[in-house]
Amino acid sequence: MYEKHIMICGATGCLSSGSNKIAEALTQELESRGIRDKYRLVMGGCPGFCEVGPIIVIFPDEVFYCRLKAKDMAELVDQHLIGGEIVERLLYKGPDVDAPARFYDTIPFYSKQLFNVLRNSGVIDPESIDEYIMRGGYRALKRALQMDSQAVCDEVKDAGLRGRGGAGFPTGVKWGFTNKAPGPKKYIVCNADEGDPGAFMDRSILEGDPHAIIEGMLIAGKACGADEGYIYCRAEYPLAIKRLRDAIKQAEEYGLIGNNILGFDFNFKINIKEGAGAFVCGEETALLASIEGKRGMPRPRPPFPAQVGVFGKPTTINNVETLANIPLIVREGGAEEFKKIGTEGSKGTKVFALAGKVRNTGLVEVPMGITVEEIIFDVGGGIQGGREFKAVQAGGPSGGCIPKDLINLPIDYDSLTKAGAIMGSGGLVVMDDRTCMVDLANYFLSFTQKESCGKCTPCREGTKRMLEILDRITEGKGKPEDLDTLDSLAHSIKDSALCGLGQTCPNPVLTTIRYFRHEYEEHINEKYCQSGICKPLFQYEIDQDNCNGCRACVRVCPVEAIKGEKKEPHEIIQDLCTRCGSCIEKCRQDCIMITRVGSEADVGN
Amino acid sequence: MEKFIDPCCEKCTHTKDTPCKDFVECCVEGPICHDNDECAKKRKALIEKVALDERFVVS
Repeated sequence: MYEKHIMICGATGCLSSGSNKIAEALTQELESRGIRDKYRLVMGGCPGFCEVGPIIVIFPDEVFYCRLKAKDMAELVDQHLIGGEIVERLLYKGPDVDAPARFYDTIPFYSKQLFNVLRNSGVIDPESIDEYIMRGGYRALKRALQMDSQAVCDEVKDAGLRGRGGAGFPTGVKWGFTNKAPGPKKYIVCNADEGDPGAFMDRSILEGDPHAIIEGMLIAGKACGADEGYIYCRAEYPLAIKRLRDAIKQAEEYGLIGNNILGFDFNFKINIKEGAGAFVCGEETALLASIEGKRGMPRPRPPFPAQVGVFGKPTTINNVETLANIPLIVREGGAEEFKKIGTEGSKGTKVFALAGKVRNTGLVEVPMGITVEEIIFDVGGGIQGGREFKAVQAGGPSGGCIPKDLINLPIDYDSLTKAGAIMGSGGLVVMDDRTCMVDLANYFLSFTQKESCGKCTPCREGTKRMLEILDRITEGKGKPEDLDTLDSLAHSIKDSALCGLGQTCPNPVLTTIRYFRHEYEEHINEKYCQSGICKPLFQYEIDQDNCNGCRACVRVCPVEAIKGEKKEPHEIIQDLCTRCGSCIEKCRQDCIMITRVGSEADVGN
Repeated sequence: MEKFIDPCCEKCTHTKDTPCKDFVECCVEGPICHDNDECAKKRKALIEKVALDERFVVS
């Protein structure tokens, strides 16, 4: 028996900020004191709060240490593990807590979260099938194997689970299509090709709880009459792929993958296909082509994959998070529990990757129906630097932006669609008042334009033309008719593109025009970018009445464009200024202003 | 018994080639096919070694 369990976040985020070094230092400190055997060290899954990583949680004390460094480990061993006293300086501190916070119940980031999909992440050793079984794992599989396949489809349908990958199609209905499709050979495909910028929900689930995906696929196999599955995961997720390979091997050893699983007349095997990272391969028909070794390009539907899928056989494609929900629903009484969470049309929880200008970035799991305000301010802790919230981009490059006016919008499939956004896979990029919405639309459209596979003309050519217009607007060369042309092009692409990527890629442009039309008009008609992003459309000026001549801006200016004596108001030489923004970030007096361009300036990019 | 796939005694026959329908429940609540305190203790020991707290095990 161990005295304590030390769960070190071993997910990619904390690994990149040094959790491996922390684990090494902790091991060394324990060994040097001859007490290594008393403690169990686990490189676990992601506890979600990436902003304050690397993270260690000590059980059973339930103490959450964050922002750790290797040099903190000696103190942690001596004071907490040996001395039994919490190291207060390593606890979570922030403007949202009065005193250093100890664990989930006292850290506001966790206060409105509900862990279903992330139930095991950070709690079990993701490389141990035994621990997954202890947490109730594979019981839902056993139950599904005792049921009729259509009954499993119906139970998932009745629970109200909708696909978490983007479109939100009812999972049980989709399973039913494949189940009813004729033919002895069928496939289950797990879409782990997470490609939205800033999104890492699927990666964290795969890294933290790989057996949940495997169990979900096995149950889907039973429900659909499939005997083989593919996990399509991008090669840039090496830890997720390693954990999946290990988990598959364990499940095979335990007789949970293979022939006559648990003695039932059910065979299933799982393959992993590593993708090269093309965004379009997240689209189901492109993904199927890629699995077959062809170029990742979508094809027209019908026929849908449920009829003609991978290798021409009926195929069900589910996203990682969708599959992670399945064991919870199919276990005894699980569907009823699942239905209690969420809204009428959107049941269960949703995992979001919270990124951008929010204080608490990380992975969050919240009940469907939670409002934008609750996610950004209660969970996310508000906007960095106390700035003003402007909008949130939901659903990645295929999604849309939700403005401040809709802060009370419930996050569910139907409300997001009405607002012009989509749930997508769960990326939430928060923007403050220094974000230019024209530049934002330009950024997301340039991403989808580069990722367009080129097969259909509307997406290939249409996005190119839209991007040319947006480039022109951000360079100060916009024309009054540009907004109508953008709107017309966007709707043409939505109506005629071949796949979901093309049909949704105009969304960021359409929603920014819908909610921030005045910014576009300001760029076009007044040649002014009030957010200070589009370089030809603004200049920095120093407020002569407030500048105290501290020289902080002078020191950081890389082109020596600021002049002025110490304790005297400074001045920016517009002909030299490159609008890099170093001065405005550094000024403590908040006296650098964004103003309209008064004279022609050299702002070479 | 170092992991659940290891047989607790000669009465356990679960392998991937000779699967037992009760294997999953048996890991945590077993033994199911026979009564033996020693076999139960072996499972309990595996659980106690890694359970973070009393809420860890989910049936």
